[in-house]
Amino acid sequence: MKKYSKLLTISCVLVGLSAAVISCDKSITEPLRVGYTPTSVDDKAGTWKTYVLTAPTDVTVATPTAVTSSEYLAEVADLKSKSASLTQEQQEAVVYWGAGAVYRWNEIARELAARYNVPPASTPDGKYPVPDAANPLADPRFPFANPPYTARAFAYLSVAQYDALVAAWNFKYKFKRSAPSKADASVRVALPSSALPSYPSEDAVVAAASYTVLKAMFPGEVPFLDAKLAEHRNSRLWAGMNVMSDLNAGGNLGSQVAAKVMARARADGMSAANNQTLTAAMITDAKARGLSEVWVSQETPARPPMLPNYGAVMNWNFDAATKVKLRPGPPPALGSAEFTTALNELKAINKNQTREQARIANYWADGAGTYTPPGHWMRTAANAAHDAKYSEVRMARTLALVATALMDAGVCCWDTKMFYYYPRPQQFGVKTSVGLPNFPSYTSGHSTFSAAAAVVLASIFPDQADDFWKKAQEASDSRVYGMIHYRFDCTAGLACGKNIGAYAVERGKADGSGL
Amino acid sequence: MKRNLKCLILAALLTPFAAQAQMPQDAIYMNKRQICVAGMYGYSSWNQYWENTLKRENFNIGTHTTQSFMLMPVIGITKRVNVILSLPYVWTSTSAGNLMGQRGIQDASAWLKVKAVQVGGFSVNAVVGGSIPLGSYVPSFLPMSIGLQCRTFTGRLLLNYKEPKTGLYLTAHGSYGWRSNMRIDQDAYQANERVYNTNEVQVPNTYDAAVRLGVQRKGWQTEFWAERSACLNGDNIRRNDMPFPTNNMQATSVGWYAKVQPHNIGVNARVGYVVDGLNVGQSTSYMLGLLYQINFKK
Repeated sequence: MKKYSKLLTISCVLVGLSAAVISCDKSITEPLRVGYTPTSVDDKAGTWKTYVLTAPTDVTVATPTAVTSSEYLAEVADLKSKSASLTQEQQEAVVYWGAGAVYRWNEIARELAARYNVPPASTPDGKYPVPDAANPLADPRFPFANPPYTARAFAYLSVAQYDALVAAWNFKYKFKRSAPSKADASVRVALPSSALPSYPSEDAVVAAASYTVLKAMFPGEVPFLDAKLAEHRNSRLWAGMNVMSDLNAGGNLGSQVAAKVMARARADGMSAANNQTLTAAMITDAKARGLSEVWVSQETPARPPMLPNYGAVMNWNFDAATKVKLRPGPPPALGSAEFTTALNELKAINKNQTREQARIANYWADGAGTYTPPGHWMRTAANAAHDAKYSEVRMARTLALVATALMDAGVCCWDTKMFYYYPRPQQFGVKTSVGLPNFPSYTSGHSTFSAAAAVVLASIFPDQADDFWKKAQEASDSRVYGMIHYRFDCTAGLACGKNIGAYAVERGKADGSGL
Repeated sequence: MKRNLKCLILAALLTPFAAQAQMPQDAIYMNKRQICVAGMYGYSSWNQYWENTLKRENFNIGTHTTQSFMLMPVIGITKRVNVILSLPYVWTSTSAGNLMGQRGIQDASAWLKVKAVQVGGFSVNAVVGGSIPLGSYVPSFLPMSIGLQCRTFTGRLLLNYKEPKTGLYLTAHGSYGWRSNMRIDQDAYQANERVYNTNEVQVPNTYDAAVRLGVQRKGWQTEFWAERSACLNGDNIRRNDMPFPTNNMQATSVGWYAKVQPHNIGVNARVGYVVDGLNVGQSTSYMLGLLYQINFKK
């Protein structure tokens, strides 16, 4: 009997312990973003300065039918039938897209960047096949959405969204066609509505512009993007927010603007960014300037450097001559006291990395399989603008300023990296806890990207300036803690990124928004 | 690796005497007021792995090695109820590339093994166990991470038949393993073909099934085993990407185990080889342990 009571006690203790250990719900909770009434509709945004369009009149929008016309009344009747009762799935689509058109398409771009951010595998003969845009789903898939590629994709996406919305605002206030629920109070709306005229639909504008850019950047994702585009447009009908002619006019406008923006993309020099024949001269030049040991790929088989001519791609907020002026001065000579100190710092971390150093290195790593450091900062920017309840056009402006600064940072940093061709710490026996990028060390891309983005965000959200800067500093430090950058790579990158960001800030001050 | 093999052969040649209780996967029990403490060294390595279903090598990893030292006391509560505890220290390394090895205390686990039914040589045993991460190791730096930072709870049913005269035995078991969600240092990650904007990661639950055929006599034991352990769901490693804790890891292994414990002191050894898998390395593993049994006076 005694034996059994003991058995019983043990069992009870174990069952109790297990209950404490297990909480059966394994569902993941993610931060929820929902729609809002913007703090301002930014009714003068039709006059803001655009990036690629010279004026909103570069594109055409048909004059809408009057809200009293029989055509319009028929559209409203159709809208009522579509928005009267929604399935669970339709309701979810309304809430999802209701969080914001620019916000969601930026998130979709991050999703695609992560999906395509994997370096090609080597073939049995030791070569790395180049992804082929004409055959995007073959192995290796096109694109390899590395940080420079992704920075550029975000820049074109955000510029297309912004230019298209500025044009849309122009036409909205030209035609001043009110929302269907204002024309007919019996239209049931599922989202907050504002005084913003609804023709052309800003959602359809953003959807079409984003679709066009992302289809060009991620050509293997056409079915995925088709589904997003259709759902976005439909969600506006289900929500009772737009009649079909609002959406058609918006879609048409968005496509026209995006086509112009993509014409710039095709001529910005990206097609020559992977010109590997240039590296021999880069190495010779760097050696001629006194570099005793050049960067060498640490992968087996040796992988050609990532986009060695990306530094020649066209910038957004300054010209090529300014880019050369922005390039940081030379790194310490290999073997110099300054170099040895920096290398010893990494060796010490290699020996005894603290958990906090590992955490920071991991948090900011944004390596293969992620949306990259530009994606990280786009997320930060989009969330800040969402928290501030920005209108679609002001959200797009914010993201365009950040994204162009990020691409400018990428271009400048790549120019610097290939100019100095400086070896990575791994060439001196240091390991890494985050994975080693395959291009020269000086300067740090993370530091350049982060400083540029933080400077722009600090100017737009001055009350959070300290926080953005703290993040940029931590992102920069993370590369030292991950042991893939010398401290001087990071300090030079931060300083250069700050200067780059200042050009975007200057543009923002002069774009007519008064913001 | 060669030296380990020699140790194993030496261990296998040792003369048999009087063996006692062991692992959560056998039907051997310690008697009341007996404690057996095992100190075990493990060495496991692979130079090929399954990236999804593609079996490949990786020149930037070369041979990946996981070593561990584990302390494992087995406590006889009664001769039908045993408690097994374990605490491993684990370290990883690669022969090529520049990924930094990880090291540290991993997860503490506890098992309760109960012989529920005994009819002649046949027994039905119930085993429940759980584990809790003790170290603050990084769980998302696969394949270098030493663990997944999740709590686990396992329920196992173990059937055993032992022929009394020869000591020949056949054991079969099946288990279900629950694993808690884990937290990573990043605040976004890609899994199941989408991006999750959170640091919380759902780690798949697991099952395993195994059969063992061996001989157990006074003082020694030897067996051959085959085991299938796998996740119940999960995603696959993307082309040329690194593994992630959400992966549907599956492995079918075969191996050999033996124990010699003439008196209080004994040794045990285990060899395992993964014959087929998904999202795991094709590892060959060796384990060598030193056992020490303490009998408390009644």
